[in-house]
Amino acid sequence: MKFVIILLMIDFLLGTIAKQIFFSQDTGKFARATHVIEDSEAKVMVFGSSHAHRHYVPKVFEQELQTTCYNAGAEGQQLLFHTALQQMVLKRSKPDLLLLNIDEDFLYSSREAYDRLADLHPYYSDHRDVLKPILEMGSPGIDFKLFFKSFQANSTLIHALRYYASPQLDQKGYRPLYGKVKPSKNLKRFENLEAGDDIDPNFVITLERFIAEAKDYGVPLVFVTSPNLLVTDYTNNESLSKIREIARKEQVLLLDFFNSETFLEQYQLFHDTSHLNNDGAELFTKLVADRIKELQHSK
Amino acid sequence: MLFNSFDFFVFLPIVLVCYWLLAKSIKWQNVLLLIASYVFYGWWDWRFLSLIALSTIVDYFVGFKVYRSDDKIIKKRWLWVSVFFNIGLLGFFKYFNFFVGSWIELFASLGYTYQDVWTLSIVLPVGISFYTFQTMSYSIDIYRGKLEPTKDFVAFAAFVSFFPQLVAGPIERATNLVPQFLKPRTFTYDALSKGGKLMIWGFFLKLVVADRAAIYVNAVYNNIESHDGLSFIAATILFAFQIYGDFAGYSLIAIGTAKLFGFDLMTNFRRPYFAASVSEFWTRWHISLSTWFRDYLYIPLGGNRVSKPRWLYNLFITFLISGLWHGANWTFVAWGALNGVYLIAEALLFKKGRKGLHNVLLTFVLINLSWVFFRANSINNALSMISEMLTNPGRLYIGSGDDIAASLYATLAIAMLVLVETKKEYFNSLFTISNNRLELIRLVGYAIVVFMILYFGVFGESQFIYFQF
Repeated sequence: MKFVIILLMIDFLLGTIAKQIFFSQDTGKFARATHVIEDSEAKVMVFGSSHAHRHYVPKVFEQELQTTCYNAGAEGQQLLFHTALQQMVLKRSKPDLLLLNIDEDFLYSSREAYDRLADLHPYYSDHRDVLKPILEMGSPGIDFKLFFKSFQANSTLIHALRYYASPQLDQKGYRPLYGKVKPSKNLKRFENLEAGDDIDPNFVITLERFIAEAKDYGVPLVFVTSPNLLVTDYTNNESLSKIREIARKEQVLLLDFFNSETFLEQYQLFHDTSHLNNDGAELFTKLVADRIKELQHSK
Repeated sequence: MLFNSFDFFVFLPIVLVCYWLLAKSIKWQNVLLLIASYVFYGWWDWRFLSLIALSTIVDYFVGFKVYRSDDKIIKKRWLWVSVFFNIGLLGFFKYFNFFVGSWIELFASLGYTYQDVWTLSIVLPVGISFYTFQTMSYSIDIYRGKLEPTKDFVAFAAFVSFFPQLVAGPIERATNLVPQFLKPRTFTYDALSKGGKLMIWGFFLKLVVADRAAIYVNAVYNNIESHDGLSFIAATILFAFQIYGDFAGYSLIAIGTAKLFGFDLMTNFRRPYFAASVSEFWTRWHISLSTWFRDYLYIPLGGNRVSKPRWLYNLFITFLISGLWHGANWTFVAWGALNGVYLIAEALLFKKGRKGLHNVLLTFVLINLSWVFFRANSINNALSMISEMLTNPGRLYIGSGDDIAASLYATLAIAMLVLVETKKEYFNSLFTISNNRLELIRLVGYAIVVFMILYFGVFGESQFIYFQF
């Protein structure tokens, strides 16, 4: 019993310090997530994985749409994370537009998608209502696990110290990539994506929840697919087919830039085969903004 | 069920409370342990419970047959029933595909191509190498007159399937563990405290040392084409601590858990990387297995009480088989053979035991060299990695993003482990936290270790390496 009391005291003391360190970060992925969850009042918010993070330039949206924008894309994260982030944002703020950058494999089973939700643990005590159902999809007993403050801040110390020492600057959430991919014979000229793993029903539910949440709060939602360097055949991609089906059913506009002629084999616009460089990102953001303007005018 | 899973944290307190509520009846305590052990194992795959049950039944009856027979030949025949059954079980589930595949490859290399119709789709039952060895020790010890068979079937079945050490050891001797199932166990605060401390340190080794190190090790070993010699050296040193943290961590959790139930299991690791020779290393590493091989293979082969060539042969063959025990892959055979060669070299070159820090470092280097074979995905990979280590240091891979943090956490955790073990090895009489006279220091010390587990540990419910053996 004495041990439990001492453990709780140490957890409270050191865990509080750990969380203070966490929330005092000014740059890096955690600082960006905290800004999105706690502060951002941007009217256009972009969600998605590294493709969102690297492809949408808020400055361009702001110029084109005469509004404010924040890029809430998070590298390595998938739908569960984006949905949690979206729900926490909508609890506090009402943007005019949400963009979700769709990855073709969003619905395929992925253990990493669950494991990486650990990035949301520090926010659990303040956003339990949103986070509990999402975190419990991958791991039962989340209340028990996150009872300890130190566990809520698990594995964040070095990250925080690193960005204190060397700040990771961003432009309203966007971090540009530079350099051009070199044309090479090693790059596949035609990629026929076979059916991947199984579709994870939790991911399907989560995508539907993302749409429902936007509708409940009356915030327009647009899905966008990012351009690719090389022509790719997605006909066998069950995940993408399912996403398209859901978008159709729920009447969510999908701006499809997969295999866009503007970008195919434009090596000068790509940092690697799947990520645009800053030039490519600015062009892409402009094209997306144009489509949104058209949409706004048509309404 | 994994020790590092949420399920176990629910399972353990429930079983523990029920167990001590039944303290007045050994019989019901054993029944509870048996049920709990089967639930623990069945959580992974209930179908393979039948193998444990079969192994239990066979050795229970063989034990009696061996004990009751006066005829030595008949005794031996019954013993062979146990050995054939358990080795057969192991052979079929663990080695069948390996040997068939190896034969096919051998004939293919000689120009004879066979269609691979013999290999089967077999799932390796977790822990089969451990519980088959443990049950065999029961029959062998009865044959040797060291143990009388127990009539209490439930106690025997609980001994075979005792959940703390069922899937990854320590491989207990029947002479040590069976009697503990037959006598009353009393609840003591001291046992609870000692068990808890062992478990806490075990979790630190597993979640903070091993699983952190694994991130770098896997990044390098699973992608050797992209790395150079320096990265291989770093990954191999990290692997040395990964496998130690993983396996010693499991053993400590097992020993600690058993203590909560009033059982004493044998020590399985004794600061192995402070060994000053490879032969000493094997008295400190996986002690329950090395003593098993010593008692049931090496000594029956004649041990060192034979001619020198025969003695060296005994050493080599024991390590070769120990290597094969670790896995159905030529990499493990090579690892065992290399350790056998080390021991032969030591036996030939050194008359006296070796001491001193330089010998500790030399032994660490030799053991690390053998770990390359243990961890590499193939012998070719192992050889090319060693060649790169010697000829092409290249650039040290430090990872990117979260990988860098993982390597730093691993390095910090290893530094702490080395500090604690150095203190235990060389300055044990100096200041102690775990056994400090002041209760507050003990409690705060362990609470800080728990904090470190929660703050720095990896919580992906990763499997323990030795589950595959």
